Amino acid sequence: MVARRAVPLLAVLGIAGVAVAFAASLTLSPGSLGADLESVPRCTAAGLGVVQNVSGTTVVSVTVSSVPAACGGATLQATVNNQVTSSGGSTTVPGGGGSVTVTLALAVAITAVEEVDLVITGP
Amino acid sequence: MRTRTGLAAAIALVVVGIVAAGAAFAAGLSLTSQALTPYRTCVLSGTPATTTAVIDASVRQATATTNFGTSTTNDIASSTGANRRLYVRFDLTQCSPAIPSSAVIRLATLRMYVTVLPAACRTVDIFRVTATWTEAAITWNNQPFGTAINNPASGSASDTFAAGTPAGCQNLTANLYIVGATVTTDVAAFVAGTATNFGWMLRDDVEGSATARTQTYSAKNLGTASQAPQLVITYVTVP
Repeated sequence: MVARRAVPLLAVLGIAGVAVAFAASLTLSPGSLGADLESVPRCTAAGLGVVQNVSGTTVVSVTVSSVPAACGGATLQATVNNQVTSSGGSTTVPGGGGSVTVTLALAVAITAVEEVDLVITGP
Repeated sequence: MRTRTGLAAAIALVVVGIVAAGAAFAAGLSLTSQALTPYRTCVLSGTPATTTAVIDASVRQATATTNFGTSTTNDIASSTGANRRLYVRFDLTQCSPAIPSSAVIRLATLRMYVTVLPAACRTVDIFRVTATWTEAAITWNNQPFGTAINNPASGSASDTFAAGTPAGCQNLTANLYIVGATVTTDVAAFVAGTATNFGWMLRDDVEGSATARTQTYSAKNLGTASQAPQLVITYVTVP
């Protein structure tokens, strides 16, 4: 008798459990899914100054200025790509923001066109 | 009865398994809600000297029909009958990857390496050029803004900076890149297609000074990577 009641009860619990699991996965909506792009939380929307520090004919580090205090404690990753060589590094933004310099793992030859990608993760 | 009890226990285990799997998925995927601030920067540099990504030249009132497109330096000068202006253009289409027309330009900075500063702090105006010119042919007489001095009006400048050796001047040390030359609005218009990119003209805010006031910048043709004219464009593709 007890077992007969338990079977449908467990089935209901099982369905409810799956529903909870699906609901939990839907919390991803602020991110980027599929072809649709949506804004993600970020510590700044301001313009950041970017200066490549050159030694001879290579870029050895990148200085990023005007980093707001809201990004304090975040990790700033910089990657320099001259279409032939790509190199990057990362550093932690100080508490008050300001300027940070990221030393590249490998020096990148300076060319007429270079791409510098910055990603600030956190705080 | 034992069989039914065993069935119930099996179902219970399945349910627990499904719930646990769901929780695991939720925990893993929740990482995407972390704050990310992605920026992309295109740096256009006048190096090597043969690059077509950058063209620059100065024009000189005192030698009004001479082209200085191959000079290794560019001057900005205020002097009676001998004013000098600097023209520079960066080819944004050479950015790789290309800047999408929908990109939001966060900051565009013009970087020029100054080697000679005037003894007085002088304001330099940056104007967006609205007609075509070439590095090999531009002269004082055929420049897009014409030969009248103090034209266009200072108020129409995209931005200004100050340069000179007196204490307190914005750029008072030679042999450095100048700071304070921001052209974000112009670059945004170029990228969006609402304006054509003919580059910029830099001139002294008050041309025709009785005392010559000259500042000298390294030109693309100097061929020195660490002194090359640069345009640094920082943008985002998802606002």
